[in-house]
Amino acid sequence: MQLAVNIVVLSSIYALIACGYVLIYRVSRVLNLAHGELMMLGAYLLLTTAWLFSGHPAIALSAAIGLSLVAGALVYIFLMRRMTGEMVLAAILTTVALGILIRGFVVLVWSAQQQYPAQVLAVSNPSLALPGGARISQWSAVLVATTLIVYAGLFSFLRFGRWGMRTRAAGQNALLAAQRGINLHVVYALAWSLSTLTGALAGILIALDSGITGGMPVIGLKAFPAALVGGLDSLAGALVGSLIVAAAEVLLIYYVDPLLSDVVPFLVLIAMLVMRPWGLFGTREELDRV
Amino acid sequence: MLRRFLLGAVAVTACVLPAAAQDYIVGVTGALTGPPSSTYAPAVDAMRIYIDRVNASGGVNGHKIKLLVEDDGAQPSKAAANTKKLITQDNVILMVNASLSSTYAPVISETKNAGVPLLFASGVCPQSVYPPADPLQFCTTGYASHFDSQATLDFIKARAKTPVKIGFSAMAIPVSRGEMDYANDLSKKLGMTPVDLEVIPPPTADYTPFATKLKDAGPTWVYSWAPWVTQVRTLEALRKLGWQDDFIAWGHLEAEAELARLKDAKFFVVNSNSLFQEQLPIQKEIEDAAKQAGSKYPAQTMTEGWIGGMAIEAALKAAGSSADRAKLRAAMENLKIDTKGLRGGPIEWTKDNHFRTQLYYRVYGWDGSKIARVQDWKNYPVK
Repeated sequence: MQLAVNIVVLSSIYALIACGYVLIYRVSRVLNLAHGELMMLGAYLLLTTAWLFSGHPAIALSAAIGLSLVAGALVYIFLMRRMTGEMVLAAILTTVALGILIRGFVVLVWSAQQQYPAQVLAVSNPSLALPGGARISQWSAVLVATTLIVYAGLFSFLRFGRWGMRTRAAGQNALLAAQRGINLHVVYALAWSLSTLTGALAGILIALDSGITGGMPVIGLKAFPAALVGGLDSLAGALVGSLIVAAAEVLLIYYVDPLLSDVVPFLVLIAMLVMRPWGLFGTREELDRV
Repeated sequence: MLRRFLLGAVAVTACVLPAAAQDYIVGVTGALTGPPSSTYAPAVDAMRIYIDRVNASGGVNGHKIKLLVEDDGAQPSKAAANTKKLITQDNVILMVNASLSSTYAPVISETKNAGVPLLFASGVCPQSVYPPADPLQFCTTGYASHFDSQATLDFIKARAKTPVKIGFSAMAIPVSRGEMDYANDLSKKLGMTPVDLEVIPPPTADYTPFATKLKDAGPTWVYSWAPWVTQVRTLEALRKLGWQDDFIAWGHLEAEAELARLKDAKFFVVNSNSLFQEQLPIQKEIEDAAKQAGSKYPAQTMTEGWIGGMAIEAALKAAGSSADRAKLRAAMENLKIDTKGLRGGPIEWTKDNHFRTQLYYRVYGWDGSKIARVQDWKNYPVK
């Protein structure tokens, strides 16, 4: 039972991060390789809001979430917007540069020390007992619930929302969408905001569960194979891909060798690329060669 | 007019450059960013603050010390590039490595080629500084392979009231894995039963899968000798799973704040540095210096870097006014550094021993209301 809980928690982490990759790619065909860094930035924003509102966790959390949304929009307005009309590869390289910039910025502002927002907010993280003798920490449980809510929200938004529909249209054919009067810049800025928000949520909840370190971006990178396995333009794929990668990781740690956990996501990815390069739920014709 | 100005500028530069060249130039490659940077960045900052203070009080032998710091992000390739740059372009007379052990090989190689003495300060001491030591390598870092595990397992043996079933947790880096393999073997010799060794890659999104396996092996003690993040997250993951037995880890820079944060009566740290709860005069000095310098890091995390700074100052002083790489190396082969209570005794280097002749260990824990010594200095001779 504990193994099942571990799989659910890890797949929720990966899924929450992976949907950010999908949102950006689906709309603009750009691989956001700074997603892990934006996730870390969200965690550090929580640390700042925690210092500012130490006695009020709800306000600190809301402020961090709001700031993450704004940060995503600013990344588009001041950086990615300049890449409009340029080669996709140029945009991808810009995200690499953005990642390096954020890593340096974080050390300068918040230092390289391990930090604990939960301690600043004076919120505890008790271990909750589950049926079958399994246990889960409170913040891990919140992370699982958040992932479910985020995915339900994103599915509803993209399927039924006015701006969701516009986002899908821009992703399918940007030129046609623009000719129909859709403001592409607003759509792209929205996608960057939502993507940064989902990554930041993952960062915030991981930080509340076990603290923040400068190594957080690598966790973001480990979720990338999950998005690819599911199909880079499919939200459902990100969910299933995360489950597959997390299950392989947890089971191999327990039954074979813990060292395999580092390479498992990429082994699964290679297997998928050999069999079905566009991923489980991805669209075949949407696969770009970069 | 412009010509006259340019000639004047050249003349001024010519006058200034020789003076600058008189500085002792010391290069540092350190993990200021990257997953394990919380262990190294504060040490580098402490070293910088210490050297700034030395310079402010007139320098060493009439020379200022110029500390050139490069970030390697704990990556071997960057560490190699930093070292090459510092040696060939900046002409350093001493290299300092304050980074993960995986950066050691390229740094050692570059310093050997150039004949530059290399000081390990805050990164684990490599075997090459133990007797018989490599002529170019020296180490001040408090933690060292084999000796730390010996001290830790001796403590466990002395404290345990029942037969010990011991689990181990390592980070997936050679030095941590090697140490836990050594401890695994040593535990058998000491009559303990090793039950599991988890080697955890850095960084990991969730430590619970590793802790689950460890817990299911049924240890009564868990020992971890790894960068702090691996040690503390393994402990916390075990606690989340309901495991309530004893956990012991190496007391890195973060230990003091973390003991206070966790308030766990069954969590112990083995340490060769005095924690700040001892309130030594030198610790007050570090606190004041950190505050004055506006450091982002708490003074409690600065001991390793401070001792590194003490070693640099003492070595340069002993090398004399015309210190170069060869003179500095010769001076370091016969050096005694007074740590003023930050360690159990002085750091003493000899021709064959560039580590120290005596090692001292303390064990700290949480006594229910504050950090407390669980075992006072116990020394181990290094032969």
